[in-house]
Amino acid sequence: MAVQTPSTAVRRRALGGGRWVPYAFVTPFVLVFLTFMLAPIVIALVNGLYSSQSSGLGFGGAETVFVGVRNYARAFADADFLASFGRVALYGLVQVPVMMVIAAVLALLFDSALVRARRFFQFAVFLPYAVPGVIAALLWGFFYQPSVSPLVQGLQAIGIDADLLAPGTVLWSVANISIWSNAGINMIILFSALQSLPRDTFEAARLDGAGELRIALNLKLPMIAPAVLLTTLSTVIGTLQLFNEPQVLQSITPNISSDWTPNMAIYAVSTLGRDPHLGSAMAVILGLVTLVVSLVLVRFTNSSSRGGAR
Amino acid sequence: MDAKALSRHGVRRWTALLTTGLVAFAGLTACGSPGAGETAAGGAPADGPVEVDFWGWVPGLEDLVETWNADNPDIQVSFHRMTGDDGQKVQAAVDAGTGPDLVQLSTHDLPDYVINGRVQDITEHVAEHEADYTAASWASVSFDGRVYGVPQGIGPSGMMYRTDILQEHGIPVPTTWDEYLEAARALQAADPDAYIANLSPGEIGQWVQEVQQAEGSWFGIDGDAWTVGINDEASMLVAERWQTLLDEDLVTTELMWTPEYWARVNAGDIATISYAAWFPTALAENAADTSGLWRVAAMPTNAGSDNQGDSGGAAVVVLDGAESAAAAAEFASWLNGSDETQEALITEGGLFPSTVNGLDSPALLEEQEFFGGQAINEVYIESAGNTPATWTEGPNWGTAQTAVLDEFAEVVGGSQTFAEALDNAQAATVDDLEARGLTVNE
Repeated sequence: MAVQTPSTAVRRRALGGGRWVPYAFVTPFVLVFLTFMLAPIVIALVNGLYSSQSSGLGFGGAETVFVGVRNYARAFADADFLASFGRVALYGLVQVPVMMVIAAVLALLFDSALVRARRFFQFAVFLPYAVPGVIAALLWGFFYQPSVSPLVQGLQAIGIDADLLAPGTVLWSVANISIWSNAGINMIILFSALQSLPRDTFEAARLDGAGELRIALNLKLPMIAPAVLLTTLSTVIGTLQLFNEPQVLQSITPNISSDWTPNMAIYAVSTLGRDPHLGSAMAVILGLVTLVVSLVLVRFTNSSSRGGAR
Repeated sequence: MDAKALSRHGVRRWTALLTTGLVAFAGLTACGSPGAGETAAGGAPADGPVEVDFWGWVPGLEDLVETWNADNPDIQVSFHRMTGDDGQKVQAAVDAGTGPDLVQLSTHDLPDYVINGRVQDITEHVAEHEADYTAASWASVSFDGRVYGVPQGIGPSGMMYRTDILQEHGIPVPTTWDEYLEAARALQAADPDAYIANLSPGEIGQWVQEVQQAEGSWFGIDGDAWTVGINDEASMLVAERWQTLLDEDLVTTELMWTPEYWARVNAGDIATISYAAWFPTALAENAADTSGLWRVAAMPTNAGSDNQGDSGGAAVVVLDGAESAAAAAEFASWLNGSDETQEALITEGGLFPSTVNGLDSPALLEEQEFFGGQAINEVYIESAGNTPATWTEGPNWGTAQTAVLDEFAEVVGGSQTFAEALDNAQAATVDDLEARGLTVNE
């Protein structure tokens, strides 16, 4: 009893080590998560409660003092910041459905036997996603400026006087860039979901006399509902975080203000306005809004799909 | 650096990362470098050259840095080109502890940098050179008797105009703003495609020079309090002028510096451009096909006054965190003030000098082919002499500028007037100052 055989010792050590294996595997994730997700959130929360304060003319220097929720009060009192949420909401109401319909239609087409040269077209649709957002906005920026745009000049030649950067149209010009950039990746996600579906179901449907359209709408789409939810969710979040495209277009049109989207407002306050504390408070507000919208969306789709099953 | 300052630095650093959305890897470097920098600052290296990191935007600085490095083995400067006045980038870099030692900065931004401790007081290193600079430019880098930078160029106003367009329609070169309005109307009547000017809702310098010409100032100091004058009487005068030009469709409203803007300049849609002494270089570069057609005259004046304006100058400043302020300041003084550099700064850099020797430099009066052989700086020298000393820089230029430009965009979009825009921007700027704890006399 007192004397252990080598084999049990080895087994013990292996068992003891075994308990740590899962932790070792999750450690890299946890470290990255703590450093780049949790820590910034905590720091933003803390930062938002402070303010850099000077007195008199200010040349005596500034010190950071605790101001409670004052930054939050200022953010909520800022009509332009609140308006920026309204703007992305309007943008999202149009851009998200359009993007999802385009992605879904393309994915269903590629999944059906209807499309020739499928690989080529898939690649062509996906390619814009490989163009960085800023570059995409620069490219489209040239298409939007009348004097240098073949697009606008072409429209003028056939009698259409289009101003793609006017106060009323610039929102949709931004949406166009983001759809062009992101429809491809959403299509790929939906397409791979379609590819993993069991083919015999469709065979059965076909034998029962269902056409391709019917199969696509009544069978395929409901079966890839989780993938549709995933892509919708990421598109909605992307809408709330809208920054790259309008920030780039801002340099070619005055109709995008410095606080045009919530993220741009945060950027303007923190850098141009040099008030990172107020910027932190605004970032926390944006984060909470994003969280709430995501939860509502998930809850809504969960209950509706459960309702559908019953 | 005391503990409080250090932690504030840390907080600012993180915020800069969070809110400007820098990528994760920038975060790692930002965390790593200040610690290393601070220990090095404690014990300045006795051996090896002092290294100075310098960011700037003036054309031709690379060659000047090379000249300095060849002659000064003890102080080696490395230069990084910025695309322009990269206010956001510099501020974020300083707060992240990854800023350069020395940077070119718009003097509009300097008070904010001083208040927030982003620049070093270099009085002891540069005070001996005060007599080399014009009084106005030296005043623009001095606060409370301390000096925070070395002046590098100013922006006196002038009016570039297309001789061919004005002559074609028999319109005399306007010398007052009243004549300017008449010329604008005459030009539009003669040619619906030609406009007297472009009103860029994104170019603050053009606005500022006219406000200064009318003896207004966005900021002022009243005892121990700031005053804000974004909607002061002088500004309202300028507002009325451009409101009329805008309402009567006498101006284009492209954003300056865009392909669209330069396309219209090249197409001959825009007959005059009122802007600073450094603008002709940019014009020659971007509208090369119109060479020989332009001349420069004084910016039109207000009734009963010879005043010109200035859109703002620049300075080279030593940033917080610079390892050797003395070495950085020594280089900055040589770069901006020495006899050796004036010609290059003027001819290649397109700078209008803020130095005594620069103003005496024969390079300044060089005839310019693009302007039909005119020695255009004769106009700008006179303009600099006629600039009133009424403008005061203020502590939240960034906020004020953003507020004004956002409001101006709505004016050009047609949803409000310039007067309303100025009132809104005034309110936003005062609110921001008060939120910073500064005293404001309203």
